Amino acid sequence: MKKNEVIGLVDFYNAPELGELTENRSLGSTSFLGRYAFCDFALSNFTNSDIPTVGLLIKKHQRSIMKHLGSMSSWITNTKVGSQRILVNENGVLNPLTNTDVANIRENDWVLYDSNASYIVFQSAHIVANVDIRPILKEHIARHEKITSVYTKIKDASQEFERGTLVRVDGDGYITSVKQNDHLKEEALASMEIWIINRTVLAEIIQRRAVWNERAGMQEILKELLYDGSYKVHGYEWKGDYVRSFDSFDHYIRYCTELLNPEVAAKLFDPEWPHYTLTHDTPPALYGEDARVVNSFVANGAVVEGTVENSILSRDVRIAKGATVKNCIIFSNVKIAEGAHLENCLIDKYSIIQKDVEFHGDPMKYAYLKQGTIL
Amino acid sequence: MSTKMAAMILAGGKGTRLKALTRKIAKPAVSYGGKYRIIDFPLSNCANSGINDVGVLTQYESSVLNGYIGNGEKWGLNGVRSLTSVLTPKQTEEGSAWYLGTADAIYQNLDWLDMIDPEYVLILSGDHIYSCTYNDMLKKAEENRADCAIAVYEVPMEEASRFGILTTDSKDNIVAFHEKPKNPDSNLASMGIYIFKYSTLAAELRADAKDEKSDHDFGKNIIPKMLSEKKKMVAYRYHGYWRDVGTVASLHAANMDLLLKKDDATNLYTVQGANKIYSEDSNSAPQYIGRKAVVEDCLINQGATILGKVSHCVISGEVFVDEGAVCENAVLMHGVRVGKGAKVYDALVGPSSHVDPGQVVNAEHDGIALVANASKEDL
Repeated sequence: MKKNEVIGLVDFYNAPELGELTENRSLGSTSFLGRYAFCDFALSNFTNSDIPTVGLLIKKHQRSIMKHLGSMSSWITNTKVGSQRILVNENGVLNPLTNTDVANIRENDWVLYDSNASYIVFQSAHIVANVDIRPILKEHIARHEKITSVYTKIKDASQEFERGTLVRVDGDGYITSVKQNDHLKEEALASMEIWIINRTVLAEIIQRRAVWNERAGMQEILKELLYDGSYKVHGYEWKGDYVRSFDSFDHYIRYCTELLNPEVAAKLFDPEWPHYTLTHDTPPALYGEDARVVNSFVANGAVVEGTVENSILSRDVRIAKGATVKNCIIFSNVKIAEGAHLENCLIDKYSIIQKDVEFHGDPMKYAYLKQGTIL
Repeated sequence: MSTKMAAMILAGGKGTRLKALTRKIAKPAVSYGGKYRIIDFPLSNCANSGINDVGVLTQYESSVLNGYIGNGEKWGLNGVRSLTSVLTPKQTEEGSAWYLGTADAIYQNLDWLDMIDPEYVLILSGDHIYSCTYNDMLKKAEENRADCAIAVYEVPMEEASRFGILTTDSKDNIVAFHEKPKNPDSNLASMGIYIFKYSTLAAELRADAKDEKSDHDFGKNIIPKMLSEKKKMVAYRYHGYWRDVGTVASLHAANMDLLLKKDDATNLYTVQGANKIYSEDSNSAPQYIGRKAVVEDCLINQGATILGKVSHCVISGEVFVDEGAVCENAVLMHGVRVGKGAKVYDALVGPSSHVDPGQVVNAEHDGIALVANASKEDL
């Protein structure tokens, strides 16, 4: 592949809202497993697929995204050949109805006109999977396709990709229909929201479509193309082991805690497919003499002197002596004081749980304590 | 813009007493504290002191170390006004030579220092463990208009004969220096940290290079000669955690110093404060503590998986301790695997080494055992 033949775009527009958890941040920059943000996975897919030029299509909440991305050197393979840019649509912030990924690309139209790239690859930030873009691109090129959309087989549409799109594919490998997941208890083909589009085709589509419907985003436009027949969309089936769409608060909790099972974790964490993230230069996690920790992820920078079970602790968390944390997800810089007892909750950043405070969520429905809570 | 102070880090030492740990890597590259290499400490100290120009002098088994240092990015020493250079011995018009001693190593790189033309030069060891900034020491050198300031550390009088000992007057002016004196008259040990006025240093090194009898060593030659020339030299007293780990046992002990203790302030969380120690980020998976695991009094880095029992241990990334295994008072370096039911007592287990299932290491608790059985490719 020629250098800069491909531009990768991480599309934050498709990310669902997860209630209070994403009130002040994008899901793409939301904490995951104590040391990642969701967009790390899509960014790492580009890095590991040798795609050095990457843009992030940001809908809103730039603050939290910029804070996570910093100078973006954590993901980049070559700082001169490649670049990573945050793409913001300033007008869009004022006009939420027309704040679409398509409008964003028009605003940042170097992607379409001022680049040598032949192909533009889209990924959504909230779908976590280790996807090697290279074989997909190879097939796209070999078949002389103009648009390729990646899908995967799911076992139960009533449980997975609940807010996603289901597709049907014909014998020639073209997508024949797309629809919102209607939650039938059956196998289905779910869109992974990974699209490869030839740059000139994308420019043409955007130029033509955006004129008559300013509210249409990439997803709507691709859907319309299917029905008016102007372009065929090639379906590529991705057959990997681990793919999850983090599309609801319950899924967030379930998918995070499910990874505490080493068999599930082994599917996502592949030494040959590293996940790059921002470093905070925190020391390794420190455990006191009376610490009792089982079945948990503990991030660097955490100091644990109490009891922790089936939980996920982020950077700079403190669990004091005699404190108990069970079935909890704890974000960075949270302090749990002596004798406090917490179960079934997600505690957002910078919260303080004071001495001997007890707080329980429901095992089936975790409680959410927002950023900066003092209990 | 003129440069106040450049740093030169001497990182060419072999560290023979660390045995197999330094068979393929230089001592400054030896891992420490679960996530660091020893040289992260002086380099982070330089970064935290606002020093922008750092030369790292390497010689023995330098491939790993040179690659690790790179352009200094891991310590933020790659900004627009920064220069991090790995300085290895080189060929010149006069021929080629290895670094013959600490002073010769700097002498052979005077051209690099001339490019920067600093007012002061800070000379450090690449294999000492301590977290500090050098700003107060520089201030002391400047206020005293000293040609040289030497950092000193108070050691117990009965151990003083193992060190290079400085004798000072009441104003901290250095009046005598004795390498390993039989009857020490002071307990101020030189830490091998020097700040020289660059013009003085360059002149002294050029003169020393011509002296065929010299060992070209700071402690043995340069410092005594400057004292005999009545140069202005001051001692800077350092109070804080500082270790020069020369042996397997002392490296093990320095690791254990990082654990959480009630009355001791040597763990990284209390020591570093605003001055972080920077290192490589390993892109590891999160650290996982298993369902049957027991973890007490430990320091554990990201990427480790603990399924057995670990007690009083320092554990690096990508370490795997299987179910039923027990590790007590052990340092497990990067990539170590401890098999099912294995026992490891009082040990230092080198990078990528394996302890087989059921194997018992140091059952007799006979000192600190060293396990280093990784294949060369794994190092």
